[in-house]
Amino acid sequence: MIQLQLKVDPIPIVEPLVVRLRTSLPGSSTTTSDHDARMVSHDTETADFDVNGFSLRVHTRHYKSLDGDVVLVVPGRGTLHRLIRASSNHNTLLITEQCDQKCIMCSQPPKKYHTDMFDQFLQAVALAPTSATIGLSGGEPFLHKARLLEFLRKSQSARPDIRFHILTNGQHFEPSDEASFKSLNMASILWGVPIYAADRSIHDRIVAKQGAFEILERNLALLAKAGAVLELRTVVLNANITELEELANHLTRNLRFAHVWAIMQLENIGYARMNWDAEFCDTSKEFDGIATAVDLALARGLRTKLYNFPLCTVPRAYREYCTLSISDWKQKFLSTCDDCRLRSSCTGFFEWYPENRGFSEIRAQ
Amino acid sequence: MKVWPLQFRKLDENDFLFSDDAGAFFRSSEAFLTRYVENQLSESDSAFLRRGGHAFDDIGDPAFVGFASRWTQRINSATPLGYVILVPTLRCNLMCDYCQVSRAAETAKGFDWDETKLAQVLALLDRQSTAEIKIEFQGGEPLLRLDLLEAVRTFCRRKFAISEFVVCTNLQDVSEDAWRFLEAEDTFVSTSFDGTSKLHQTQRTKTATAHEQFNANLDAALHRIGPARVSALPTLDPSDPPEPTDVIAAFAARGFGSIFLRRVNYQGFARKKYGLDRSHQEWTDYYRRFVRALISHNATAENTIEEYYLSHTLRRILQGGHHNHVDLRNPNWLGVDYLVVDFDGRLYPTDEARMVSRVGQIDLSIGSLNAGLDKERISLFNLHASNFDDPDCVHCVYKPYCGLDLIDDLSRYGRIDIPSHQTEHCRSHMDLFDFAFELLYSDDPNVHKSIASWLQVARYSPMLAQRHS
Ligand code: SF4
Ligand code: SF4
Repeated sequence: MIQLQLKVDPIPIVEPLVVRLRTSLPGSSTTTSDHDARMVSHDTETADFDVNGFSLRVHTRHYKSLDGDVVLVVPGRGTLHRLIRASSNHNTLLITEQCDQKCIMCSQPPKKYHTDMFDQFLQAVALAPTSATIGLSGGEPFLHKARLLEFLRKSQSARPDIRFHILTNGQHFEPSDEASFKSLNMASILWGVPIYAADRSIHDRIVAKQGAFEILERNLALLAKAGAVLELRTVVLNANITELEELANHLTRNLRFAHVWAIMQLENIGYARMNWDAEFCDTSKEFDGIATAVDLALARGLRTKLYNFPLCTVPRAYREYCTLSISDWKQKFLSTCDDCRLRSSCTGFFEWYPENRGFSEIRAQ
Repeated sequence: MKVWPLQFRKLDENDFLFSDDAGAFFRSSEAFLTRYVENQLSESDSAFLRRGGHAFDDIGDPAFVGFASRWTQRINSATPLGYVILVPTLRCNLMCDYCQVSRAAETAKGFDWDETKLAQVLALLDRQSTAEIKIEFQGGEPLLRLDLLEAVRTFCRRKFAISEFVVCTNLQDVSEDAWRFLEAEDTFVSTSFDGTSKLHQTQRTKTATAHEQFNANLDAALHRIGPARVSALPTLDPSDPPEPTDVIAAFAARGFGSIFLRRVNYQGFARKKYGLDRSHQEWTDYYRRFVRALISHNATAENTIEEYYLSHTLRRILQGGHHNHVDLRNPNWLGVDYLVVDFDGRLYPTDEARMVSRVGQIDLSIGSLNAGLDKERISLFNLHASNFDDPDCVHCVYKPYCGLDLIDDLSRYGRIDIPSHQTEHCRSHMDLFDFAFELLYSDDPNVHKSIASWLQVARYSPMLAQRHS
């Protein structure tokens, strides 16, 4: 597993520090900045960087893989967070861990307290590689709407090349936000919003919030009117597997403005780990609930994708809709996969996937 | 609850087809029609209409916005010039029975662009501010002027971020230089192949030697360029068409996945030779027979085949969008995103318009390279670009999928105020939509398999064919 946090020797700072690590000498094409920390020396276990005269010692055996990474060091802590890894397409900033829903499959269960890191994130965006896509996630990021919108505005004016992928439960917009949305470059933001069923009571039960569906529908319409590029996200659960075809009907009728529909397999972490036995749906054994939904959605012209589905769990005719959705840092393969021809095009498994309680049909192809 | 206006059409003694302006449709009974008309909807009617996206409560509510967005997707908004048909020469090395344009002999003088015209064409392209362009080379036989094709392609590749080229050639004489030109990744070949060798020879190539040459070149094209970048269109005479199975076998043998059936056109030489089109019914019958044969073929074939216009129609019915065919879009803007430059420098809104004008019956040009676009004429054409307020179309159940074809009306009737129902465009599309819906509501698994392959989805969904009792 790729490490997102590395041990550092504490440095005397009072404010959180955001710098870009440089392990190689800059070529003429590389931009440099005051916020670049240049590597001055290394051995097999550590690499020393120069941060405006201070020395930052990072414990790593793979210093080369850090080149270009934008990292965060918090005062008094011995860890460095790799906020934006230059070599990865899967970089996500965790805006907050607070949330107003308690979805039964939440991978990042809500916490009570919030630390405002927007200033650091803004700095990180400024240092990100050209044309990077950066995920913004939570918790529910829009619980801090004013700060988040300000962050987006500033980011877009500093770095118009950066694309954002925001994951939000869509519960916190008001008609008065339309102006803020319109002041953003909506074309470079992808809005990932979950919807679990067309039946409001089923959706509300899954997100554990009464009335959530109604607000969601209203706010999706609001986002659509503001020109949002929408990714509707549906995690497959035993609670909704029989509802997906009807959901496909609903999306293609009432939410056809969505750009793409992502049907997602479950990630065994957070609440989903607790609810795994009850909610994990073995789609390698029975795919029809998904197939019927995909058939309808595609025939009605809604782009549809399958996230987190290992290829061998999906009937051949539907494999072209699978994507490499599992982030590099939490992806793994099983021993069966060693001699599989499809491995390079397969998304594999989450690091915490429980092999003995997961898909019954995993077979090298 | 408010129900969006529904249009309907009687299908048989039991059933009606209903559609709303955003294209959602269902089958239902006369009893439902009565309840709808008399405002006596039952609870189950209301639930059904809501679920199908046919109703809303308040302006701006989610169902309203959902409907509005689907409606918008069906509108062909005017986009900048992105498709240009160029006719660098009218000369041709064949003389097909129903040549679509008046053509000129291979050795004739004065039927090619000169240096000035080429410079003007490039200047016209240079004035465009779009990033993408598609160029279609028509003729005559465009490969007779490979030098002009080269000049245009080189220019476009430099000028536009994305450019694509289609060469409409008879593949009769292809020099080694021409092959090299056609082999480029951004270049496509579109040729005529009349379905069977026998027919193709009678109608086009005439002599056995010439036919052999065409055959060899078509094979070479598929081999050197690949079936993904080569298409072949049959032009058929409705009064004496080939057996569908023969045509399908010939296309399948060559690895084609798409057949665009065209009946002999009403314009050009064809018009003089075949006279008025009295063959509407013959064609409709043949077309249906052909598609039925395709469906049988697809039932067992590994590589399925589509009839292009039917697939396109199905996509328009089910998905909206798909504004890429100039004969079927709404509004059908003329002289906006699409332009034809003839060999003599005259500009036309479509290739049909060029052909009609060449016959001398009516002048549908919209300017010239010298004088530029005639904005006044263009706005005159575009007064009647959409079917939104056409007195016939407003009540038509197929309105959301259809569009007007002003050029076709003008070419046939010399006027545009013929009631839609009486136009050939309407009659043939009415037939086509009837047939498409018949297929969509079919219970035959073979039909389902074909529909799925035409829509490029894994399986037909029965939910597409909504019914309400
Ligand atoms: S065996 Fe492994 S690599 Fe192969 S398709 Fe299955 S999960 Fe993917
Ligand atoms: S042209 Fe004919 S088929 Fe098309 S919408 Fe008008 S009335 Fe209907």
